Amino acid sequence: MKDKKNTEYLISLFLSIFASLIIGGFIMMANGRNPIVGYSSLINGAFGSKYNIATTLAKTVPLILTGLATSISFRSGIFNIGGEGQLYLGAFGAALIGITFVNLPAILGIPLAILFSAIAGGLYALLPAILKVKYRIDEVIVTIMLNTVAVLFTGYLVNYPFATDVGKLGATDIIADSYQLSRLVRLSTLNTSIFHVIVITIIMYYLLERTSIGYEIKMVGQNLNFSKYGGINVKGRMIFAMVVSGALCGIAGAFEVLGVHYRFLQHISPGYAWDGMLVALIVKNNPLGVVLMSIFFGALKTGSISMENATGIPSELISVIQSIIILFIAGEAGFKAKIKNYFAGKGRRKKVGEENA
Amino acid sequence: MAEKLIELKNISKQFPGVLANDNISLDIEKGEIHAIVGENGAGKSTLMKILYGLYQPTFGEIYIKGEAVKIKTPLDAIKLGIGMVHQHFMLVPSFTVAENIVLGVEPRKNMFFTNYNQAVKITEELSEEYGLRVDPHAKVESLSVGIQQRIEILKVFNKGADIIILDEPTAVLTPQETEELFKVIRSLVDKLGKTVIIITHKLQEVLALSDRVSVMRQGKMIGTLETKHANEQILAEMMVGREVLFEELKRKNIAKKEVLKVRDIKARDNRGLMALKGVSFNLHSGEILGIAGVEGNGQSELLEVLTGLRLAEEGSIIVNGVEAINKEPLEIRELGISHIPEDRLSTGLSRQATLTENMILGFHRKEPYAIKGIHLNRKKIRERADRLIQEYDIRTPSQDIIADNLSGGNMQKMVIAREFSFDSQILIIAQPTRGVDIGAIEFIHKEIVDKRNEGAAILLISADLDEIFRLSDRIITLYEGEITGEFLSKEITKNEIGLYMTGKEKALKEGGR
Repeated sequence: MKDKKNTEYLISLFLSIFASLIIGGFIMMANGRNPIVGYSSLINGAFGSKYNIATTLAKTVPLILTGLATSISFRSGIFNIGGEGQLYLGAFGAALIGITFVNLPAILGIPLAILFSAIAGGLYALLPAILKVKYRIDEVIVTIMLNTVAVLFTGYLVNYPFATDVGKLGATDIIADSYQLSRLVRLSTLNTSIFHVIVITIIMYYLLERTSIGYEIKMVGQNLNFSKYGGINVKGRMIFAMVVSGALCGIAGAFEVLGVHYRFLQHISPGYAWDGMLVALIVKNNPLGVVLMSIFFGALKTGSISMENATGIPSELISVIQSIIILFIAGEAGFKAKIKNYFAGKGRRKKVGEENA
Repeated sequence: MAEKLIELKNISKQFPGVLANDNISLDIEKGEIHAIVGENGAGKSTLMKILYGLYQPTFGEIYIKGEAVKIKTPLDAIKLGIGMVHQHFMLVPSFTVAENIVLGVEPRKNMFFTNYNQAVKITEELSEEYGLRVDPHAKVESLSVGIQQRIEILKVFNKGADIIILDEPTAVLTPQETEELFKVIRSLVDKLGKTVIIITHKLQEVLALSDRVSVMRQGKMIGTLETKHANEQILAEMMVGREVLFEELKRKNIAKKEVLKVRDIKARDNRGLMALKGVSFNLHSGEILGIAGVEGNGQSELLEVLTGLRLAEEGSIIVNGVEAINKEPLEIRELGISHIPEDRLSTGLSRQATLTENMILGFHRKEPYAIKGIHLNRKKIRERADRLIQEYDIRTPSQDIIADNLSGGNMQKMVIAREFSFDSQILIIAQPTRGVDIGAIEFIHKEIVDKRNEGAAILLISADLDEIFRLSDRIITLYEGEITGEFLSKEITKNEIGLYMTGKEKALKEGGR
């Protein structure tokens, strides 16, 4: 959509990123480091070699999935903050399939594991969606609480009923060979899940931007009365969005198991769902934006480790930069109004109205 | 008369993104009724709020009796003898009339207690002095809007005002109440030498009441003239900035067939009170049926029940022989009912969505816009949007503009374009021209009558009685959730209708028609 608003948004987004990188530079200088050296080692660390690029991409896989999950739910106006819990259940579900049906060939086993994780995540999101639609119970609070439930529940499972016999790890057994997604670049964890993610992204883009369902989801999120009046099944769309969102988080969990760890670990996610949410918020739930912003975040994460190794600048600086971007984006509306006001004083805008505002 | 009481000099007011008042100068003479007219958003209310101290001007000066003054708060304004009656009344519903009138300047017995008897006495004296009869002991919530307005006016005078600003005072009044108010205003000026500034957009009222009239447009003062030199045509052109044709709407006689039969609808409002107490009527193809009534007498609830947005407790709605009570909005649409909602911003459109997106609602699962009901055909959707923008004269640089950037009139045209393009047999139209500029009103009225001439059955709900009379073939009056009368519009006058709107008269079907 070549909307003027979108162009404006892109400009302010780039300005925000640029400004936060500059502020990051000042922080480096304040600590007596050279920001040029710092950033060049960061870029080098993220994209400098085949291995580095692979690592960056590997980091983007869960971000894209959880980012898309956030996009669809936020677009429909129902807020799934429970991605982390759905991810844990999905991951455990995939591992369960991988250690149970050990004799299935890859062609059946992998889709089964992904499907099962999607169902696990989706059902776990269905619960708060129904509570919201039927009883108007706030989904934000319910999903946040369900996160803890899922993390602790899977933690229990892998320490007791499903604990591996080999060592005391808080993990399941290794999944059968046929379930393990192949690695693409030596030493890096980048695996074939990236291809699945590409397909899923295309499907989600198509769903959200090119179908009647996507249109309905967007309208429901923008104006509930308008949607009801237009004959949209508002409750149905909210439930659908929530379940798809949960399923995507579940799949993100599955890929961590099938492609990275080859087993379920007690603390399998360092907060991927939260990072995904940030990604989606920054790009205002645009599916293609989610991909680009996930790569950017993935690069920051990967690069920051090299930066720390090469220059001694702590990798936590990246969290600071990410946070500043968010702050700028959050302040966007305010900044824009100020700037517009400034210019409005010189030449007045066409639309005069809202005098009672 | 020539003494200048108030002089506004070069007033400008800048809001974020909008210059609401642009270098405005205005003189108000002592003892005149000065009307300020202009379309919605012309800046009339802003200017008056500056005079009353609610807003600070960005530039400009105010002189009262030749002295420069700074009016920082309404208290300053009151000290200078300026009072304002707002469009939305600011009364405490659970207080009595007397309590409301003395609010803020209560007579006291001692530190803690108000002297209620004194308040009653003050109210009686004021009532006497200004010839505005009120019962000091009545609770405000039990009084009609017209009486509440009197209380507002008395309240202002109790604070010692010589200059009174009335913001759209007739918007909520019946014709009788309007007439009454005008008499009161006249006598305030003629007998007591008060000065009145009245903000309005109803030109007939300006001509009937005022001594001088100032016209504003898009934040600018276009000019001030003596009312005796003005007429509706001149004022309308000054307001709109171009020629306005008040064309006679051409009606064709169409064979009438009953398409909608509504029987005994009962429904509650959001507070759980009975808002509709058994409403019945019929609607025919090729006619416009107007529902007249003071706002809040069940119109909104009736609309919502008819379109599936509110559940009725009892009753039946037969659309072409099919029962449609309490069906989903989608099912009702499929039965051939389109609806232009009374509040376009909250229901009629999505403000963050583009024109394209707004105009496809309801078509987004239909061929050819959605292939197999799922894949959106962007080309067709865009072609359709372009066609509607042309056909309905929606002023926008492109269909990719978000709706929020359109003016009220263009938003409304967009909603109408979408709903009319369903080619439904039944159209339920509410407040079609609220907050819409004159040029667009003409266009919208013509479109509605054209639809009627094509054989559509139209139910029109409007708070604007002029609009009801201009468009309707038949009129029913709604008062407190009941139908109090039914008339052919050429057989009744506005004044008569007013009596039925306030429940003072009833012509139930057994008695009359």
